[in-house]
Amino acid sequence: MSLRRYFRRRHWDAERVQEFEAHIQNEIDDNLARGMSREVARRQAYLKFGNPARVREEIWKMNSIAPLENLLRDGRYAWRTLLRNPGYALVAVLTLGLGIGANTAIFTVINGVLLRPLPYAESRQILHLDQVAARLSPDPIGFSVQEIRDYREQNHVFSDLAEYHSMTFTLLGTKNPERVATGVVSANYFDVLGVKPVLGRLITPADESLNAPPVLVLTYAYWMKEFGGDRKIVGRAFEMNDRVHTVVGVLPPLPEYPEANDVYMPTTSCPSRSSEKMIADRDMRMMTGFARLKPGVTAAQARADLAAIQNRLAIAYPKSYPASAGTAALVTPVEQELTHAARPTFLTLLGAAGLVLLLACANLANLALSRQMRRSREMAIRMATGASQWNVFRQLLTESMMVALAGGVLGVGIAAAGSKVLIAYAARMTPLSGEIRLDGWVLLFGFGISLLAGLLFGTLPGYVASRVRITSLADAGERSAGSEGGTKVRNALVAAQVMFSFVLLMCAGLMLRSLYNLLSVDPGFKASNVLSMQTSLNWTKYKKDEDKRNFFHQVLERAGALPGAEAAAVSMSVPLNSDMGPMSGGVIVEGQPVHPGEPTPQVDYEVASPDYFRVLGVPVLSGRSFFDSDTAQAPAVAVVNERMAKHYWPTQSAVGHRISVDKGKTWTTVVGVVSNVRQYGLEKEAADSIYFPLYQVDLTSAHLLVRTRSDPMRMANQVTSIIHDVDPQQPVTQIRTLDELRSAQLGTPKVTAILLGLFAMVALFITIVGVSGTLALSVARRSKEIGIRIALGATKEKILGNVLARGMAPVLAGLAVGVVAAIFATRLLANLLFAVGPDDPLTFAGIVALLLVVAMAGCVIPARRAVSVDPMKALRTE
Amino acid sequence: MARGKQVDKSGEMLQGTLDMLVLRTLVTGDAHGHTIAKVIERTSEDVLEVEQGSLYPALHRLEDRGWVSSYWGASENNRKAKFYRLTAAGRKQLVAETSRWRQMARAIGLVMGEDMLSGQ
Repeated sequence: MSLRRYFRRRHWDAERVQEFEAHIQNEIDDNLARGMSREVARRQAYLKFGNPARVREEIWKMNSIAPLENLLRDGRYAWRTLLRNPGYALVAVLTLGLGIGANTAIFTVINGVLLRPLPYAESRQILHLDQVAARLSPDPIGFSVQEIRDYREQNHVFSDLAEYHSMTFTLLGTKNPERVATGVVSANYFDVLGVKPVLGRLITPADESLNAPPVLVLTYAYWMKEFGGDRKIVGRAFEMNDRVHTVVGVLPPLPEYPEANDVYMPTTSCPSRSSEKMIADRDMRMMTGFARLKPGVTAAQARADLAAIQNRLAIAYPKSYPASAGTAALVTPVEQELTHAARPTFLTLLGAAGLVLLLACANLANLALSRQMRRSREMAIRMATGASQWNVFRQLLTESMMVALAGGVLGVGIAAAGSKVLIAYAARMTPLSGEIRLDGWVLLFGFGISLLAGLLFGTLPGYVASRVRITSLADAGERSAGSEGGTKVRNALVAAQVMFSFVLLMCAGLMLRSLYNLLSVDPGFKASNVLSMQTSLNWTKYKKDEDKRNFFHQVLERAGALPGAEAAAVSMSVPLNSDMGPMSGGVIVEGQPVHPGEPTPQVDYEVASPDYFRVLGVPVLSGRSFFDSDTAQAPAVAVVNERMAKHYWPTQSAVGHRISVDKGKTWTTVVGVVSNVRQYGLEKEAADSIYFPLYQVDLTSAHLLVRTRSDPMRMANQVTSIIHDVDPQQPVTQIRTLDELRSAQLGTPKVTAILLGLFAMVALFITIVGVSGTLALSVARRSKEIGIRIALGATKEKILGNVLARGMAPVLAGLAVGVVAAIFATRLLANLLFAVGPDDPLTFAGIVALLLVVAMAGCVIPARRAVSVDPMKALRTE
Repeated sequence: MARGKQVDKSGEMLQGTLDMLVLRTLVTGDAHGHTIAKVIERTSEDVLEVEQGSLYPALHRLEDRGWVSSYWGASENNRKAKFYRLTAAGRKQLVAETSRWRQMARAIGLVMGEDMLSGQ
């Protein structure tokens, strides 16, 4: 209503003018009729009507909205003021744009990963269940078929419990034989997650019955990648594990969770899951569970319930749950599992970005304050002519807000430009990276922090300006360029900037040291010039050990003979491949006491072909590596790593001793010791490890490694075609170089360190500009005083010392507070650091020195100007 | 009161009162601003001599509240003029205002007393 009036008022005003004219004409007519002269009639009519302009004004005001009017007027005025000082406006908008951009960009990730609800129905209710043998290994061991059934039937806390495991199968029927990551799930799996298909249907209980025809559900990503989103896919048949599987539906786009599966099948279609042995054996564990909590039940209650079931099972099946294993069910909310890796990193980055913005605000407040002091005459005049304190305050705040909003627009632009890089970065830490995009919430956030920033840096100068005394009009221009009180405020702002940037520099410094430590870790092998590829065998095809051995033997022989290849090897896992955890088990050493009732010592198992250590450049410390002759017919042999050798045979050579990995049923002779390798991550120390020869074990999950003379990727095609020569249906996946794997490991800490470093550099730069600028202003203000001192005989050194002391005082104060703040702030960083403590004294000292030196450099320029003050000139300006 | 400027001050008479008078004037038929001013003056025997301009903010307000509507027409001497018409809502408002006014006048009369008034 009032807005309508507001916009109609111009039209109404025009009408009034006509109306008044008619009114006055009528009155004149009446007066003429009364016998007045034309002149008098006119005069009387106007007298009687009163001032038409005043009446129009009154009606105009009735239709206006005062705050809006004021805002527009302030806005116009602010715009003109800023245009008159484009340098300030540019610096301010750029600084804020960077600060807001950094915050908005990081928030985009946080919004997508941590704030947006998961694409599952009521995702808070979904739990991931696993089992752990806590006394043996921290890694979960999974559930067996029987355990899943027991937990499903006996629990009181879940509305439903589904099982899940993932395997890789060969899919025939597409252009090439494909290795597809397959989620093997019970029929209720998608109900537990609360997911609906985009096409066709999902798995039903009928699909999971014993003789049901096998079905497949495709993930959205695989459907798009492999079939271009062809809607006729439903009903198509593919061959898998020697059976025909029919596609029945397509899933919506979902995070790559629990794993990056391509297709899903019911448990009955999985040959290993549906084998009689698997179903009957309580100790064959390979599944995890997903459960939906009944309404009102908490995760803690679920934990208690599962623990009670576990206790019952332990009593009923003591062999499967020895006390020495410490078996327990693990319960993790899915939400937590999806976000825990990204949460600390991005919250840290948001904190850092927030500090940069605070710092930018402090700097702008400082800048605006000095500008304000130059404009104090203007403010005094405005107040003398009737502006209220509030009017002046509001005017200046509008100016800040305008700058802040312009900075916000720039910042959102920066965030949009950087989002692609950030998504790639976040993808290393969370399967939810696909959810990251610029949406309404991000825009709202950008707008919100722009307003906040405007308030932060606009309030102080606005307040100072609104307190200008009219008497300052009488003062000389020089004096009014900043009162003593203003200087104090400015120094406090400088100290705050130093404090913020110290905290940021500390965080960045620690991250860089941590990164340096990671980079200088010796993984125990030479990563350069090694090509790796996954060649997991289709186990329905390679049933006999001999077939496998033939395949590997032929591939190794031909690959090793390639002109560009130095050596080739087959192993179970690729070093630094973070997709896989260690395969570990117990070991008994001959001649060393076994403590019954205590858990068997655990070691990592590895499988290696003869040239494995040569390909990786792992030195053989004593004994020998494997030979081609180490076959199933030859005596069982093994190689142990240095750590294990020192652990079990501290005083003698390990070579020649015997170990057993099957509780003493068979014995294996140690024939060699190799140096330690960080197989599962640069930050993970090598565990005790045993290497078994390829031809003495049953291996289907295999990798081929080739050491090349030049760029390994150039040989990828040659090696692939060799494999296809041996078996045209053999899929080859994950073709990578070890260098790539190593940089992938370093990628996350690298980007975190770079981002933090970038933030810290921006902070340092802004701070130094602030330190230097504040001191320069103070020197300008005191040039007369300095002139007098020089005239009275003060030496240059004295003046220099005096000015530097003044400049460095707020820096030192800020530093002192910053050190204390950093001690607390860096603790939050502890989890992200590798081999460096959050209170690393060296880093503290280094950053203190850095800040001091740079701040000193910033002070030197204004200090030199102080020294070069010409006393004659300075005094003459009086 | 003491200065005897009642006539000039009548422009500041209670807002509601002027509104009521304008509404009352329109009961007899549509009228433009000049007519309304003249009618108020004449029927009050020239006591309520409004500054004619102050009529218009009142008309604007009444129109805004939907108590009168307006249209352009030709005045008696064939000039283009804006006519005001009482709406149904305006009529209701007038009834309410009138009864309120009666009560008020009676109450004030009671407080002041007959002799007090005649003694003045």
